[in-house]
Amino acid sequence: MPSFKPTRRTLLKTGTAAAAFATFAPAFLRQAAAQDADLAPYKSAQIDWQQVSGETITVAVIPASYFENLITLAPQFKALTGIDVRFEKIPPAQIRQKSVIDLTSKTGTYATHAADPMYYALYAANKWVEPLDTYLADKSLTDPAWFKLDDIIPAWRRANGIDGKLYGMPYDGEVTIQVYRKDLYDAKGLKPADTLEAYMSNAAALNTPNDRVWGAALRGVAGAGQNMYIYPSIFREFGGDWMKGGKLAVNGPEAEAALAWYVDVMKKYAPTAAANWNWPDIADAFSQGTVASYIDAHSSASVINNPEKSKVIGKVAYARWPKGPSGKRTTSIWNWGFPINSALPEKKRKATWLFIQWAASAETQARTAHKFAGPTKRSGVNRTSVWKDPDYIKLMNGFGENFVEVTMGALQEDTDVDWRPRVPQWPAIGDTMATAIQSALSGQATIKAALDDAQRRIEPMMRG
Amino acid sequence: MTAKRVRIIALLAISAVFLLAWAFPIIWSVLNSLKTDSDVLAYPPKLVFTPTLEAYRDVLFGSGSILPNLLSSVIISVGTTVVTMLMAVPAAYALARLRFRGKKFAGFYVLATQMLPPVGIIIPYFLVLRNIGWIDTYQGIILIYLSFSLPFAIWLLVSYFEDIPFEMEEAAYLDGASRLKTLWRIIIPQVRGGIAVTIVFVFLNAWNEFLFAVVLSGNTVRPVTVAMFNFVSVEQTLWAKLAAVSVLAMLPVVVLGVVAQKHIVKGLTVGAVKGGGRR
Repeated sequence: MPSFKPTRRTLLKTGTAAAAFATFAPAFLRQAAAQDADLAPYKSAQIDWQQVSGETITVAVIPASYFENLITLAPQFKALTGIDVRFEKIPPAQIRQKSVIDLTSKTGTYATHAADPMYYALYAANKWVEPLDTYLADKSLTDPAWFKLDDIIPAWRRANGIDGKLYGMPYDGEVTIQVYRKDLYDAKGLKPADTLEAYMSNAAALNTPNDRVWGAALRGVAGAGQNMYIYPSIFREFGGDWMKGGKLAVNGPEAEAALAWYVDVMKKYAPTAAANWNWPDIADAFSQGTVASYIDAHSSASVINNPEKSKVIGKVAYARWPKGPSGKRTTSIWNWGFPINSALPEKKRKATWLFIQWAASAETQARTAHKFAGPTKRSGVNRTSVWKDPDYIKLMNGFGENFVEVTMGALQEDTDVDWRPRVPQWPAIGDTMATAIQSALSGQATIKAALDDAQRRIEPMMRG
Repeated sequence: MTAKRVRIIALLAISAVFLLAWAFPIIWSVLNSLKTDSDVLAYPPKLVFTPTLEAYRDVLFGSGSILPNLLSSVIISVGTTVVTMLMAVPAAYALARLRFRGKKFAGFYVLATQMLPPVGIIIPYFLVLRNIGWIDTYQGIILIYLSFSLPFAIWLLVSYFEDIPFEMEEAAYLDGASRLKTLWRIIIPQVRGGIAVTIVFVFLNAWNEFLFAVVLSGNTVRPVTVAMFNFVSVEQTLWAKLAAVSVLAMLPVVVLGVVAQKHIVKGLTVGAVKGGGRR
């Protein structure tokens, strides 16, 4: 048996550790007190939160402030349920790959992960994740009166459902909206665009590259979540239908008109570099005052209002998507949801559900948003009730004129579950379309040729 | 005389252009790492600015410190290099000197492992490691790195061993030295340059690797190449911090390059002049 014989070195080490603890103890204790927050709002649910106490689950998330806030609250979850949650932060580009590998190999590494809504068709077709209905209906696991599923943004629930069954619980999401420089618009007597045509003419009126102000910017870089995140809205607004007569169609007159509009805006009124821009680049450029308007996620408001680098604070306003020729406005239905990995043993699945229920609950949503003690507040909460909370509205309206009104309007009226083709083959289709859009933008192919070529590539995928 | 001078000037000018093109991203990263986020975005780009070490302080000692990731990278790279060299030196010697059955096939096999596109074998590797419980462990990642570093090292070393005249070995045998003793005392000192070059390349490959690391690592073992990616978040790109991590991740490579430069240059020319030896 090893005995404890202190050497000079171990004594020094212990001493240092003790000193370090003494120095940091007050801060540590304060934090512990803050984390030992009131659990009463959770305990009012008529379920036994402690039923699988002692379990450990691993949750994959992306590095983003809205998940950081949740991770900060994890000790509260542990106190409530006795379940340990290990978080693993994986960059967005790799989280899909890693979770698909985990799901196909049925290794059960990630009990749940921040999932892309476009992947549920694939997950459900392979039964890799559990339908959540069973968990929602089980009275020992869920108190429906407390959880209030209907309060969760309906568009996001639809986005995460296949054939009417919910597969992933929305945690945080976004809608695309128009973001514009009110000062520049006012100076020219312009109004935010109500139609795609007006968006183009606004951009033309404000486009003065010699003064380093460009009229507009849209995501240009190729990717299923990049240019293929903005184009689908335009396609739908031009009356496009992904599943024409039950067959996936990405070409045709509506698609050509939609892509022509996109290429026109980008070529005539966006900075040349925007062809390689993703959303953070657009927001960075806007924050430096070089872009008069863009259409992108409402959550980018926090970047363009970041006092450390933005030069346009106080000059920003928002509006919903302009209407297309079909008379529709179509926004994105993006959200990060939590599914339950089917490869888990029953007890771990229950623990995972308790975690999901806790994370998606109105109480946790509020505690990670306006009630959060840290510097970053979430703009993508999943609950209608939180969006109606005066404290939350006050906080969000700090981002600029109309922010809450526009975001809520888009969430309630402009969402469209068929915004992108929800089929198991989506990952490959998304990439093919992204390449087609880019080749049309760069002029490598004509609009028609790019779309016809994409259609030719996609047809065999759909047959498989 | 003048013609020669013109040629020299032209060569210098061309070299300067290439040097600038290669050095620019590095200089740019170093500059950005010393800026604040608002200076990074400033237009026209600021060449004169108040440098700050804030980004470095944040990435080293902030909440998302990359120190554990740098340590992971060091353990993985050093581990891979040591194990690779322990196995590659005898293997390369055997392939260069010994006559044994299946030698040709062994040589081809080693080369063939380099022909597979790495992306195609990630999932099998993941499953293998998963089944033996080595996902997110040092031994797991080092084992996988060996699969490409070992063939590479063997092939690089074989040419160096082949360049050594047989006569030197024969002299040692005549003096009564065993084969192993000859290898250790006579051959290895002769191929020091080659071994140094191989160590540098194996270390660099392991240090810079991303594709396998991102799939096979997790919370416990996460090299800096993977951790760095987290500064490109979905909300914004933290340019200054990203630049600071890049510079920190480059440092060991630069230091190693400077230290080993003499060997690398010598090693490359040795191979070039002798044309890979007798084969």
